[in-house]
Amino acid sequence: MFFLQSLLSGILTGGVYALAGIGMSLVFGVMNISNFAHGDLMMLGMYLAYFAFTLLHIDPYVSLLLIIPISFLFGFLIEKVFIRQIIHHPHQNQILLTVGLGLIMSNSTLLAFTSDPKILTTSYSSSAINIFDGISLSVPLLLSFIVTCGITGILYMFLSKTTTGLALMATSQNREAAQLMGINVAKMSAIAFGLGTALAATAGALIAPTYYIHPMAGHSFLLKAFTICVLGGLGSVFGAAIGGIIIGIVEAMASTYLSTDWKDVVVLILFLAVLLFRPQGLFGKKGEQ
Amino acid sequence: MNKQIAIIALMAGVAAALPLMTGENPYFTGVMISVLMMAALSSAWNILGGYAGQYSFGHAAYFGAGAYTTLIFISRFNLNPLLSIVAGIIVAGIIALITGSIVFRLRGHYFGLASIAVAEIVRLSVLNFDFTGGAQGILISDVSLWGFDLNSKNPFYYGMLIVLVVTLGITLFLRKSKTGYYLQAIREDQDAAASLGINLSFYKNKALLISAALTSVLGSLYAVYIRFIDTTAVLDLRLSIEIILTAIIGGVGTLWGPVLGAVLLVPLAEMLRSNVIGDTLVKFGIVSASSGLGIFLKENLAHAHVLVYGIITVLCILYLPKGILGLFGRGK
Repeated sequence: MFFLQSLLSGILTGGVYALAGIGMSLVFGVMNISNFAHGDLMMLGMYLAYFAFTLLHIDPYVSLLLIIPISFLFGFLIEKVFIRQIIHHPHQNQILLTVGLGLIMSNSTLLAFTSDPKILTTSYSSSAINIFDGISLSVPLLLSFIVTCGITGILYMFLSKTTTGLALMATSQNREAAQLMGINVAKMSAIAFGLGTALAATAGALIAPTYYIHPMAGHSFLLKAFTICVLGGLGSVFGAAIGGIIIGIVEAMASTYLSTDWKDVVVLILFLAVLLFRPQGLFGKKGEQ
Repeated sequence: MNKQIAIIALMAGVAAALPLMTGENPYFTGVMISVLMMAALSSAWNILGGYAGQYSFGHAAYFGAGAYTTLIFISRFNLNPLLSIVAGIIVAGIIALITGSIVFRLRGHYFGLASIAVAEIVRLSVLNFDFTGGAQGILISDVSLWGFDLNSKNPFYYGMLIVLVVTLGITLFLRKSKTGYYLQAIREDQDAAASLGINLSFYKNKALLISAALTSVLGSLYAVYIRFIDTTAVLDLRLSIEIILTAIIGGVGTLWGPVLGAVLLVPLAEMLRSNVIGDTLVKFGIVSASSGLGIFLKENLAHAHVLVYGIITVLCILYLPKGILGLFGRGK
């Protein structure tokens, strides 16, 4: 009974993690950059959802219609102004630049809104649906999961059916070859970073109703997003989606059978194990790394 | 090399005489201790990151290992502080060997990520265990060594200075030694270095062990000096980033870069933290203390030093990736 309950809530939470993971994976695939500001972008998404709800009285799931374009634009601009300049720099400089950008985002938020955690309480925040005896699903998590599936579906169609999407995938597979085929890779980078940011912010907005919103909230999601990417194979969108679900389940199981305090440690150990024994990820091809 | 030794000796002499000249000024001594500590931390990181090219993003783990081991041994077993520092080195060394066996198999993105993951595992474990004091941290009362009480600041000033001089000495010695040349070869091209018969794993681990041992001693000194530690103070990712940033600003892979970085960054952070800038603006009548801006500065500027670090990091990576010493072409 416990097992089934943990499994279900793990899958639901994992769906939201998957969104964050897909965003990071997309950026990594197209730009070959590990984005250390990803967690902070999620945090900004949480705040956007919070203020849309408290100031404009828009439901967090509806406010996505605002949050997605705003955050896409934000990411697009960050790429144009900052990331573009270091795309050929050594990895450590790219990491440090995104760390710096993340520090600026989280600490500006801290200055603007203080470190007091904010809570977004909707009318359905704590309601749950009973499926059958003893097993229940939290309504906000279920809604988030459904939205996640929808967005992932749209993203999949975009990447596999549209010219821009195919150009993104081509850049991800081989930047030089894509450039030779006449694809504007610089533009693709900006679009990829915009999409990555939009996905991170969406994930943030989706967990906002079930999570404390504070300036450092992104921190704990950063390593989770990396774990998901590595698990799915860095750069693989499909892999990241599955990786997110796996991490959700692992966390839920660790909380149930071990303790909530140690669940992050379990995820980190899984991360190191994947890096060591299967660095190409569960779905990546050998030698890709 | 002799010239460099002479410069280190001269600097150390000046630094050693400084407390005698300024007299009893706890605030100044406190800032100087922070400068020396960050200079030494960054120099120790530089042995691995600057010379071997292995950017560790998890050095807080060794600092924390030293700090926690030392305070646990002092508070629980009443062990002599010096022996507690040695215990810290052993624990940090064990963590370094485990870390090295994992992360040195990885390259590029993966190495940086794995070093963070290991440090986070250490941080979360310390936070969750009972014997480490968990989220409350560890607080100790007065410490004494051979009858001297260690409650004044000067012993720690000289302690940090000695570790800094030792670290600079080791760096100087290493870079003219066989190990140093091997490390620099690894930094420039791992595959070429391996094809020349350099045992990559052995030399990377050697650099990591030296770096971790020095970092842990600094952690121990800090812990006994402050007499209170928790995971936020000694094991946070922020500390690892500050250590790297200090080296980057001065110049990674140079002898004096990390020292220069610390001399510039630490007083700046200290000024922001203690609100000297806000108070000065008010004092000279630029901003009125009762105005909205004055109140905002007073309440918030103290929290802004991490924001300033973020801005400096971004500007430095974009416009000064080789650091200040890199500008003068003293790259190696």
